[in-house]
Amino acid sequence: MTDSGLPTSEHLEHLDTDTIADLIENLLPAAEAHSAREHVKACPDCQLTYDALLELSEDLAEEGRSDIPMPADVAEHLDAVISSEAVMRASTVGVHSLVQIREEPHRHVPKLLGAAAAVVLVAAVGVGVVVATKDRAGENAANTNPTAILPTGTPSLSLSQIAPEAQRWLEKGDGAPLLNGSATEIACAKVFASGRPNPQLRLVQPAKVDGKRATVIGLQGGSPRDIQLFVVTGCNDGSGAAAPYYDTTVTLRNR
Amino acid sequence: MTAHLDSGPAHPPRIGVDHPVAQPVHAASYDQLDDHELLRLHVAGNPDTFGFLVKRHRDRMWAVAIRTLGEPEEAADALQEAFISAFRRADSFRGDAKVTTWLHRIVVNACLDRIRRRQVRQADPLPEDEDRAAELAGPAEDDPAEVRERRIDVLNALKQINPDQRSALVLVDMEGYSIEEAAAILGCAPGTVKSRCARGRARLLPLLRHWQTTRGGSDLPEKTAAETVGTE
Repeated sequence: MTDSGLPTSEHLEHLDTDTIADLIENLLPAAEAHSAREHVKACPDCQLTYDALLELSEDLAEEGRSDIPMPADVAEHLDAVISSEAVMRASTVGVHSLVQIREEPHRHVPKLLGAAAAVVLVAAVGVGVVVATKDRAGENAANTNPTAILPTGTPSLSLSQIAPEAQRWLEKGDGAPLLNGSATEIACAKVFASGRPNPQLRLVQPAKVDGKRATVIGLQGGSPRDIQLFVVTGCNDGSGAAAPYYDTTVTLRNR
Repeated sequence: MTAHLDSGPAHPPRIGVDHPVAQPVHAASYDQLDDHELLRLHVAGNPDTFGFLVKRHRDRMWAVAIRTLGEPEEAADALQEAFISAFRRADSFRGDAKVTTWLHRIVVNACLDRIRRRQVRQADPLPEDEDRAAELAGPAEDDPAEVRERRIDVLNALKQINPDQRSALVLVDMEGYSIEEAAAILGCAPGTVKSRCARGRARLLPLLRHWQTTRGGSDLPEKTAAETVGTE
Protein backbone atom coordinates (compact mmCIF):
# COMPACT_ATOMS: atom_id res chain seq x y z
CA MET A 1 0.00 0.00 0.00
CA THR A 2 2.70 2.44 -0.84
CA ASP A 3 1.53 3.69 -4.24
CA SER A 4 2.13 7.40 -4.28
CA GLY A 5 0.51 8.26 -7.59
CA LEU A 6 -3.08 7.58 -6.62
CA PRO A 7 -5.01 5.72 -9.28
CA THR A 8 -8.74 6.07 -9.63
CA SER A 9 -10.76 4.24 -7.08
CA GLU A 10 -11.78 1.30 -9.25
CA HIS A 11 -8.15 0.35 -9.68
CA LEU A 12 -7.34 0.58 -6.01
CA GLU A 13 -6.80 -2.45 -3.91
CA HIS A 14 -8.99 -1.87 -0.89
CA LEU A 15 -7.62 -1.70 2.61
CA ASP A 16 -8.87 -4.48 4.82
CA THR A 17 -11.18 -3.61 7.69
CA ASP A 18 -8.50 -4.41 10.31
CA THR A 19 -6.17 -1.84 8.77
CA ILE A 20 -8.85 0.83 8.70
CA ALA A 21 -9.82 0.04 12.32
CA ASP A 22 -6.12 0.26 13.30
CA LEU A 23 -5.85 3.58 11.44
CA ILE A 24 -8.73 4.96 13.50
CA GLU A 25 -7.01 3.92 16.73
CA ASN A 26 -3.65 5.39 15.59
CA LEU A 27 -2.05 1.98 15.74
CA LEU A 28 -0.29 2.07 12.37
CA PRO A 29 3.36 3.10 11.98
CA ALA A 30 3.68 6.64 10.65
CA ALA A 31 4.46 5.81 7.02
CA GLU A 32 1.75 3.19 6.77
CA ALA A 33 -0.74 5.46 8.50
CA HIS A 34 -0.01 8.19 6.00
CA SER A 35 -0.58 6.03 2.93
CA ALA A 36 -3.66 4.43 4.48
CA ARG A 37 -5.10 7.85 5.21
CA GLU A 38 -4.42 8.98 1.64
CA HIS A 39 -6.06 5.84 0.33
CA VAL A 40 -9.17 6.28 2.43
CA LYS A 41 -9.52 9.85 1.16
CA ALA A 42 -9.34 8.69 -2.43
CA CYS A 43 -11.38 5.50 -2.17
CA PRO A 44 -15.13 5.86 -1.55
CA ASP A 45 -15.50 2.21 -0.50
CA CYS A 46 -12.82 2.44 2.16
CA GLN A 47 -14.19 5.80 3.25
CA LEU A 48 -17.52 4.07 3.79
CA THR A 49 -15.88 1.39 5.90
CA TYR A 50 -14.01 4.08 7.84
CA ASP A 51 -17.25 5.95 8.56
CA ALA A 52 -19.08 2.74 9.40
CA LEU A 53 -16.44 1.83 12.00
CA LEU A 54 -16.79 5.23 13.64
CA GLU A 55 -20.54 4.88 13.56
CA LEU A 56 -20.26 1.40 15.07
CA SER A 57 -18.50 2.82 18.14
CA GLU A 58 -21.21 5.41 18.56
CA ASP A 59 -23.94 2.80 18.15
CA LEU A 60 -22.29 0.53 20.69
CA ALA A 61 -22.04 3.45 23.12
CA GLU A 62 -25.72 4.19 22.65
CA GLU A 63 -26.66 0.54 23.14
CA GLY A 64 -24.36 0.39 26.18
CA ARG A 65 -26.37 3.11 27.90
CA SER A 66 -29.47 0.95 27.98
CA ASP A 67 -30.09 -1.51 30.80
CA ILE A 68 -31.22 -5.07 30.25
CA PRO A 69 -33.93 -6.29 32.61
CA MET A 70 -32.65 -9.12 34.77
CA PRO A 71 -34.78 -12.25 34.26
CA ALA A 72 -37.22 -12.76 37.14
CA ASP A 73 -35.75 -16.10 38.25
CA VAL A 74 -32.23 -14.70 38.38
CA ALA A 75 -33.44 -11.65 40.32
CA GLU A 76 -35.37 -13.79 42.77
CA HIS A 77 -32.43 -16.05 43.35
CA LEU A 78 -30.10 -13.11 43.85
CA ASP A 79 -32.47 -11.65 46.45
CA ALA A 80 -32.45 -14.97 48.30
CA VAL A 81 -28.64 -15.10 48.27
CA ILE A 82 -28.36 -11.53 49.58
CA SER A 83 -30.97 -12.26 52.28
CA SER A 84 -29.09 -15.33 53.38
CA GLU A 85 -25.86 -13.31 53.43
CA ALA A 86 -27.61 -10.77 55.67
CA VAL A 87 -28.90 -13.52 57.95
CA MET A 88 -25.40 -14.98 58.23
CA ARG A 89 -23.99 -11.59 59.13
CA ALA A 90 -26.80 -10.99 61.61
CA SER A 91 -26.09 -14.30 63.30
CA THR A 92 -22.50 -13.23 63.93
CA VAL A 93 -23.19 -9.56 64.66
CA GLY A 94 -26.45 -10.06 66.51
CA VAL A 95 -28.57 -7.70 64.46
CA HIS A 96 -31.68 -9.15 62.87
CA SER A 97 -33.49 -7.89 59.87
CA LEU A 98 -36.76 -6.39 60.96
CA VAL A 99 -38.04 -6.40 57.41
CA GLN A 100 -37.13 -10.05 56.99
CA ILE A 101 -38.65 -11.06 60.29
CA ARG A 102 -41.79 -9.07 59.55
CA GLU A 103 -42.19 -10.25 55.98
CA GLU A 104 -40.90 -13.78 56.17
CA PRO A 105 -41.19 -14.90 59.77
CA HIS A 106 -41.05 -18.62 59.01
CA ARG A 107 -38.22 -18.46 56.61
CA HIS A 108 -35.62 -16.61 58.61
CA VAL A 109 -36.30 -16.87 62.30
CA PRO A 110 -35.96 -20.64 62.59
CA LYS A 111 -32.71 -20.41 60.65
CA LEU A 112 -31.38 -17.91 63.18
CA LEU A 113 -32.51 -20.04 66.11
CA GLY A 114 -31.00 -23.04 64.37
CA ALA A 115 -27.72 -21.22 64.04
CA ALA A 116 -27.71 -20.33 67.71
CA ALA A 117 -28.54 -23.90 68.67
CA ALA A 118 -25.79 -25.19 66.42
CA VAL A 119 -23.25 -22.95 68.09
CA VAL A 120 -24.27 -24.25 71.51
CA LEU A 121 -23.97 -27.82 70.30
CA VAL A 122 -20.57 -27.45 68.63
CA ALA A 123 -18.52 -29.03 71.39
CA ALA A 124 -20.81 -31.99 72.03
CA VAL A 125 -21.48 -32.89 68.39
CA GLY A 126 -17.89 -32.27 67.38
CA VAL A 127 -16.40 -34.56 70.01
CA GLY A 128 -18.97 -37.23 69.23
CA VAL A 129 -18.16 -37.18 65.55
CA VAL A 130 -14.44 -37.35 66.09
CA VAL A 131 -14.77 -40.34 68.42
CA ALA A 132 -17.22 -42.13 66.18
CA THR A 133 -15.26 -41.78 62.97
CA LYS A 134 -11.90 -42.50 64.56
CA ASP A 135 -13.31 -45.80 65.77
CA ARG A 136 -13.86 -46.85 62.20
CA ALA A 137 -10.18 -46.25 61.43
CA GLY A 138 -11.00 -46.38 57.72
CA GLU A 139 -9.40 -43.92 55.36
CA ASN A 140 -12.75 -43.27 53.69
CA ALA A 141 -15.33 -42.87 56.36
CA ALA A 142 -17.76 -41.03 54.09
CA ASN A 143 -21.34 -42.20 53.87
CA THR A 144 -21.33 -41.80 50.09
CA ASN A 145 -18.69 -43.33 47.90
CA PRO A 146 -17.24 -40.21 46.32
CA THR A 147 -14.42 -41.82 44.36
CA ALA A 148 -16.26 -41.72 41.07
CA ILE A 149 -16.68 -37.95 41.29
CA LEU A 150 -14.00 -36.42 43.48
CA PRO A 151 -10.32 -36.41 42.56
CA THR A 152 -8.15 -38.85 44.49
CA GLY A 153 -5.38 -37.72 46.82
CA THR A 154 -4.81 -34.00 47.22
CA PRO A 155 -5.18 -32.28 43.83
CA SER A 156 -3.35 -29.00 43.31
CA LEU A 157 -5.74 -26.10 42.73
CA SER A 158 -5.45 -22.36 42.64
CA LEU A 159 -7.86 -20.35 44.76
CA SER A 160 -9.74 -19.20 41.67
CA GLN A 161 -10.29 -22.82 40.60
CA ILE A 162 -12.01 -23.79 43.86
CA ALA A 163 -15.47 -22.47 42.97
CA PRO A 164 -15.72 -23.87 39.41
CA GLU A 165 -14.15 -27.22 40.34
CA ALA A 166 -16.33 -27.74 43.42
CA GLN A 167 -19.35 -26.72 41.38
CA ARG A 168 -18.49 -29.37 38.79
CA TRP A 169 -18.12 -32.10 41.41
CA LEU A 170 -21.35 -31.22 43.15
CA GLU A 171 -23.30 -31.02 39.90
CA LYS A 172 -22.14 -34.55 39.04
CA GLY A 173 -23.36 -35.89 42.40
CA ASP A 174 -26.89 -36.89 43.27
CA GLY A 175 -27.19 -34.51 46.19
CA ALA A 176 -25.72 -36.90 48.77
CA PRO A 177 -22.72 -35.51 50.67
CA LEU A 178 -19.42 -36.00 48.84
CA LEU A 179 -16.88 -36.64 51.54
CA ASN A 180 -13.27 -37.37 50.68
CA GLY A 181 -10.16 -37.58 52.84
CA SER A 182 -9.18 -39.30 56.04
CA ALA A 183 -11.65 -39.87 58.85
CA THR A 184 -9.86 -37.22 60.90
CA GLU A 185 -10.15 -34.65 58.15
CA ILE A 186 -13.85 -35.35 57.59
CA ALA A 187 -14.53 -35.22 61.31
CA CYS A 188 -12.76 -31.86 61.52
CA ALA A 189 -14.96 -30.60 58.66
CA LYS A 190 -18.04 -31.76 60.55
CA VAL A 191 -17.00 -29.85 63.62
CA PHE A 192 -16.41 -26.79 61.47
CA ALA A 193 -19.82 -27.23 59.81
CA SER A 194 -21.65 -27.54 63.11
CA GLY A 195 -20.52 -24.05 64.04
CA ARG A 196 -22.00 -22.46 60.92
CA PRO A 197 -25.55 -21.12 60.39
CA ASN A 198 -26.18 -23.93 57.88
CA PRO A 199 -24.42 -26.96 59.34
CA GLN A 200 -25.35 -29.44 56.60
CA LEU A 201 -22.12 -30.85 55.14
CA ARG A 202 -22.19 -31.34 51.35
CA LEU A 203 -18.54 -31.62 50.38
CA VAL A 204 -15.15 -32.39 51.89
CA GLN A 205 -12.13 -32.57 49.61
CA PRO A 206 -8.47 -32.40 50.61
CA ALA A 207 -6.47 -30.20 48.25
CA LYS A 208 -3.27 -28.28 47.80
CA VAL A 209 -4.54 -24.76 47.31
CA ASP A 210 -1.94 -22.43 45.86
CA GLY A 211 0.66 -24.84 47.22
CA LYS A 212 -0.79 -24.93 50.72
CA ARG A 213 -2.33 -28.10 52.16
CA ALA A 214 -5.97 -27.28 52.82
CA THR A 215 -9.44 -28.76 52.92
CA VAL A 216 -12.32 -27.64 50.72
CA ILE A 217 -15.59 -27.78 52.64
CA GLY A 218 -19.02 -27.28 51.11
CA LEU A 219 -22.09 -26.51 53.22
CA GLN A 220 -25.72 -26.25 52.20
CA GLY A 221 -26.47 -22.60 51.48
CA GLY A 222 -29.63 -20.55 51.78
CA SER A 223 -31.43 -22.43 49.00
CA PRO A 224 -31.10 -26.06 47.84
CA ARG A 225 -29.06 -24.92 44.83
CA ASP A 226 -26.59 -22.83 46.80
CA ILE A 227 -23.47 -24.29 48.32
CA GLN A 228 -21.22 -22.25 50.56
CA LEU A 229 -17.62 -23.20 49.98
CA PHE A 230 -14.85 -22.75 52.49
CA VAL A 231 -11.15 -23.38 52.18
CA VAL A 232 -9.74 -24.19 55.61
CA THR A 233 -6.39 -25.16 57.01
CA GLY A 234 -5.76 -27.22 60.13
CA CYS A 235 -8.02 -30.17 59.30
CA ASN A 236 -5.30 -32.54 58.15
CA ASP A 237 -2.77 -32.21 60.94
CA GLY A 238 -4.77 -33.83 63.70
CA SER A 239 -5.24 -30.63 65.68
CA GLY A 240 -8.84 -30.66 64.50
CA ALA A 241 -9.23 -26.88 64.43
CA ALA A 242 -10.35 -25.69 61.02
CA ALA A 243 -9.22 -22.18 60.15
CA PRO A 244 -11.13 -20.82 57.14
CA TYR A 245 -9.30 -18.35 54.95
CA TYR A 246 -11.49 -18.22 51.85
CA ASP A 247 -15.19 -18.62 51.26
CA THR A 248 -17.60 -18.16 48.43
CA THR A 249 -21.00 -19.37 47.28
CA VAL A 250 -21.71 -21.39 44.16
CA THR A 251 -25.09 -22.10 42.65
CA LEU A 252 -25.70 -25.55 41.20
CA ARG A 253 -27.44 -25.44 37.85
CA ASN A 254 -28.99 -28.86 37.92
CA ARG A 255 -30.94 -28.68 41.17
CA MET B 1 -16.29 3.85 60.94
CA THR B 2 -19.65 3.44 62.59
CA ALA B 3 -19.58 -0.32 62.55
CA HIS B 4 -20.93 -0.67 66.07
CA LEU B 5 -24.63 -0.41 66.45
CA ASP B 6 -25.77 0.94 69.79
CA SER B 7 -29.28 -0.10 68.97
CA GLY B 8 -30.06 -3.74 69.46
CA PRO B 9 -32.40 -5.77 67.33
CA ALA B 10 -35.43 -4.19 68.95
CA HIS B 11 -34.74 -0.82 67.35
CA PRO B 12 -35.18 -0.13 63.69
CA PRO B 13 -32.16 1.40 61.98
CA ARG B 14 -31.81 5.14 62.18
CA ILE B 15 -30.21 7.38 59.65
CA GLY B 16 -27.75 10.12 60.53
CA VAL B 17 -28.79 13.05 62.68
CA ASP B 18 -27.92 15.51 59.93
CA HIS B 19 -30.50 13.88 57.70
CA PRO B 20 -33.93 15.53 57.58
CA VAL B 21 -35.68 12.20 58.21
CA ALA B 22 -34.73 11.23 61.73
CA GLN B 23 -37.61 8.85 62.21
CA PRO B 24 -37.18 5.09 62.17
CA VAL B 25 -36.88 3.92 58.59
CA HIS B 26 -39.41 1.48 57.26
CA ALA B 27 -38.96 -0.73 54.26
CA ALA B 28 -40.87 1.53 51.92
CA SER B 29 -38.81 4.58 52.76
CA TYR B 30 -35.50 2.89 51.95
CA ASP B 31 -36.39 3.53 48.34
CA GLN B 32 -36.07 7.25 48.99
CA LEU B 33 -32.52 7.03 50.34
CA ASP B 34 -29.65 7.61 47.96
CA ASP B 35 -27.01 4.98 47.22
CA HIS B 36 -24.46 6.42 49.66
CA GLU B 37 -26.95 6.39 52.50
CA LEU B 38 -28.04 2.82 51.76
CA LEU B 39 -24.45 1.64 51.72
CA ARG B 40 -23.58 3.56 54.88
CA LEU B 41 -26.49 1.94 56.70
CA HIS B 42 -25.42 -1.45 55.39
CA VAL B 43 -21.89 -0.97 56.76
CA ALA B 44 -23.41 0.14 60.06
CA GLY B 45 -25.12 -3.23 60.30
CA ASN B 46 -28.49 -2.66 58.71
CA PRO B 47 -29.52 -6.01 57.19
CA ASP B 48 -31.96 -4.66 54.60
CA THR B 49 -30.37 -1.76 52.78
CA PHE B 50 -27.94 -3.74 50.65
CA GLY B 51 -30.85 -5.65 49.13
CA PHE B 52 -32.42 -2.34 48.11
CA LEU B 53 -29.17 -1.26 46.52
CA VAL B 54 -29.07 -4.52 44.54
CA LYS B 55 -32.66 -4.10 43.38
CA ARG B 56 -31.97 -0.57 42.27
CA HIS B 57 -28.98 -1.42 40.10
CA ARG B 58 -29.42 -5.01 39.05
CA ASP B 59 -30.66 -4.30 35.51
CA ARG B 60 -27.61 -2.12 34.83
CA MET B 61 -25.27 -4.76 36.23
CA TRP B 62 -27.08 -7.53 34.38
CA ALA B 63 -26.50 -5.65 31.13
CA VAL B 64 -22.76 -5.44 31.83
CA ALA B 65 -22.51 -9.11 32.80
CA ILE B 66 -24.56 -10.52 29.95
CA ARG B 67 -22.68 -8.44 27.35
CA THR B 68 -19.30 -9.44 28.73
CA LEU B 69 -20.07 -13.12 29.28
CA GLY B 70 -22.77 -13.84 26.70
CA GLU B 71 -24.33 -16.67 28.68
CA PRO B 72 -27.09 -16.20 31.26
CA GLU B 73 -25.84 -18.86 33.71
CA GLU B 74 -22.36 -17.40 33.68
CA ALA B 75 -23.72 -13.87 34.03
CA ALA B 76 -25.94 -14.90 36.96
CA ASP B 77 -23.03 -16.63 38.71
CA ALA B 78 -20.73 -13.67 38.14
CA LEU B 79 -23.30 -11.21 39.48
CA GLN B 80 -23.93 -13.35 42.53
CA GLU B 81 -20.21 -13.48 43.23
CA ALA B 82 -19.89 -9.76 42.65
CA PHE B 83 -22.78 -8.76 44.90
CA ILE B 84 -21.64 -11.05 47.73
CA SER B 85 -18.19 -9.58 47.44
CA ALA B 86 -19.62 -6.04 47.45
CA PHE B 87 -21.79 -6.92 50.47
CA ARG B 88 -18.71 -8.00 52.42
CA ARG B 89 -16.33 -5.32 51.19
CA ALA B 90 -18.74 -2.42 51.56
CA ASP B 91 -16.60 -0.82 54.28
CA SER B 92 -13.78 -0.43 51.76
CA PHE B 93 -15.96 1.85 49.64
CA ARG B 94 -14.59 5.38 49.51
CA GLY B 95 -17.36 7.90 49.93
CA ASP B 96 -16.05 10.30 47.28
CA ALA B 97 -16.82 7.90 44.42
CA LYS B 98 -20.23 7.00 43.05
CA VAL B 99 -21.64 3.78 44.45
CA THR B 100 -22.56 2.64 40.94
CA THR B 101 -18.97 3.16 39.76
CA TRP B 102 -17.73 1.02 42.62
CA LEU B 103 -20.35 -1.70 42.04
CA HIS B 104 -19.76 -1.62 38.33
CA ARG B 105 -16.06 -2.22 38.82
CA ILE B 106 -16.68 -5.21 41.10
CA VAL B 107 -19.09 -6.70 38.54
CA VAL B 108 -16.65 -6.18 35.68
CA ASN B 109 -13.87 -7.87 37.65
CA ALA B 110 -16.10 -10.83 38.53
CA CYS B 111 -16.97 -11.23 34.84
CA LEU B 112 -13.32 -11.05 33.77
CA ASP B 113 -12.41 -13.64 36.41
CA ARG B 114 -14.97 -15.97 34.88
CA ILE B 115 -13.57 -15.43 31.39
CA ARG B 116 -10.04 -16.19 32.61
CA ARG B 117 -11.20 -19.36 34.32
CA ARG B 118 -13.05 -20.40 31.20
CA GLN B 119 -9.96 -19.79 29.09
CA VAL B 120 -7.93 -21.97 31.45
CA ARG B 121 -10.60 -24.66 31.28
CA GLN B 122 -10.86 -24.88 27.50
CA ALA B 123 -13.30 -27.79 27.77
CA ASP B 124 -16.21 -25.38 28.12
CA PRO B 125 -16.71 -23.59 24.79
CA LEU B 126 -19.42 -21.00 24.42
CA PRO B 127 -22.60 -22.48 23.05
CA GLU B 128 -23.27 -21.09 19.57
CA ASP B 129 -26.98 -21.19 20.06
CA GLU B 130 -28.70 -18.26 18.43
CA ASP B 131 -32.00 -19.03 20.14
CA ARG B 132 -30.50 -18.17 23.48
CA ALA B 133 -30.17 -14.50 22.59
CA ALA B 134 -33.89 -13.91 22.95
CA GLU B 135 -33.65 -15.30 26.44
CA LEU B 136 -30.67 -13.06 27.22
CA ALA B 137 -32.48 -9.98 26.08
CA GLY B 138 -35.00 -10.16 28.91
CA PRO B 139 -38.78 -10.28 29.07
CA ALA B 140 -40.39 -9.31 25.76
CA GLU B 141 -43.10 -7.08 27.17
CA ASP B 142 -40.63 -4.65 28.76
CA ASP B 143 -39.29 -2.95 25.66
CA PRO B 144 -40.36 -1.88 22.19
CA ALA B 145 -39.68 -4.50 19.52
CA GLU B 146 -36.92 -2.59 17.74
CA VAL B 147 -35.02 -1.93 20.97
CA ARG B 148 -35.21 -5.62 21.75
CA GLU B 149 -34.17 -6.62 18.26
CA ARG B 150 -31.14 -4.38 18.31
CA ARG B 151 -30.19 -5.68 21.75
CA ILE B 152 -30.40 -9.28 20.50
CA ASP B 153 -28.30 -8.38 17.42
CA VAL B 154 -25.58 -6.84 19.55
CA LEU B 155 -25.55 -9.71 22.04
CA ASN B 156 -25.36 -12.24 19.20
CA ALA B 157 -22.58 -10.35 17.48
CA LEU B 158 -20.60 -9.90 20.71
CA LYS B 159 -20.79 -13.63 21.36
CA GLN B 160 -19.09 -14.32 18.06
CA ILE B 161 -15.92 -12.35 18.66
CA ASN B 162 -13.11 -13.51 20.91
CA PRO B 163 -13.50 -12.84 24.64
CA ASP B 164 -10.49 -10.50 24.86
CA GLN B 165 -11.78 -8.28 22.10
CA ARG B 166 -15.26 -8.47 23.54
CA SER B 167 -14.18 -7.42 27.05
CA ALA B 168 -12.20 -4.49 25.66
CA LEU B 169 -15.07 -3.33 23.46
CA VAL B 170 -17.67 -3.67 26.20
CA LEU B 171 -15.50 -1.62 28.57
CA VAL B 172 -14.42 1.09 26.14
CA ASP B 173 -17.19 1.46 23.57
CA MET B 174 -20.21 0.31 25.55
CA GLU B 175 -19.42 1.22 29.16
CA GLY B 176 -17.42 4.33 28.39
CA TYR B 177 -14.21 3.56 30.26
CA SER B 178 -11.12 5.37 28.99
CA ILE B 179 -8.40 3.31 27.34
CA GLU B 180 -6.23 3.79 30.44
CA GLU B 181 -8.98 2.71 32.85
CA ALA B 182 -9.76 -0.32 30.72
CA ALA B 183 -6.06 -1.22 30.60
CA ALA B 184 -5.88 -1.08 34.39
CA ILE B 185 -9.00 -3.24 34.77
CA LEU B 186 -7.84 -5.76 32.18
CA GLY B 187 -4.26 -5.79 33.43
CA CYS B 188 -2.67 -5.07 30.07
CA ALA B 189 -1.01 -2.18 28.23
CA PRO B 190 -3.15 0.64 26.80
CA GLY B 191 -1.86 -0.27 23.32
CA THR B 192 -3.22 -3.78 23.75
CA VAL B 193 -6.64 -2.41 24.67
CA LYS B 194 -6.64 -0.15 21.59
CA SER B 195 -5.62 -3.02 19.39
CA ARG B 196 -8.30 -5.35 20.83
CA CYS B 197 -10.91 -2.63 20.35
CA ALA B 198 -9.84 -1.98 16.75
CA ARG B 199 -9.83 -5.65 15.81
CA GLY B 200 -13.05 -6.26 17.70
CA ARG B 201 -14.80 -3.47 15.77
CA ALA B 202 -13.47 -4.88 12.50
CA ARG B 203 -14.99 -8.29 13.46
CA LEU B 204 -18.28 -6.77 14.60
CA LEU B 205 -18.78 -4.57 11.56
CA PRO B 206 -19.93 -7.27 9.12
CA LEU B 207 -22.03 -8.88 11.88
CA LEU B 208 -23.88 -5.65 12.57
CA ARG B 209 -23.93 -4.31 9.02
CA HIS B 210 -27.62 -5.13 8.73
CA TRP B 211 -28.25 -3.30 11.96
CA GLN B 212 -26.42 -0.20 10.74
CA THR B 213 -28.07 -0.06 7.32
CA THR B 214 -31.55 -0.43 8.79
CA ARG B 215 -30.77 2.53 10.99
CA GLY B 216 -30.17 4.72 7.98
CA GLY B 217 -26.46 4.05 7.73
CA SER B 218 -24.69 3.84 4.43
CA ASP B 219 -24.67 0.78 2.21
CA LEU B 220 -21.39 -0.85 2.89
CA PRO B 221 -19.59 -2.49 0.03
CA GLU B 222 -19.26 -6.25 0.33
CA LYS B 223 -15.59 -7.01 0.38
CA THR B 224 -14.19 -10.27 -0.80
CA ALA B 225 -10.85 -11.73 0.12
CA ALA B 226 -9.61 -11.11 -3.44
CA GLU B 227 -10.30 -7.39 -3.24
CA THR B 228 -8.82 -7.01 0.17
CA VAL B 229 -5.16 -6.64 0.93
CA GLY B 230 -3.64 -6.64 4.33
CA THR B 231 -0.74 -4.55 5.43
CA GLU B 232 1.22 -7.26 7.16
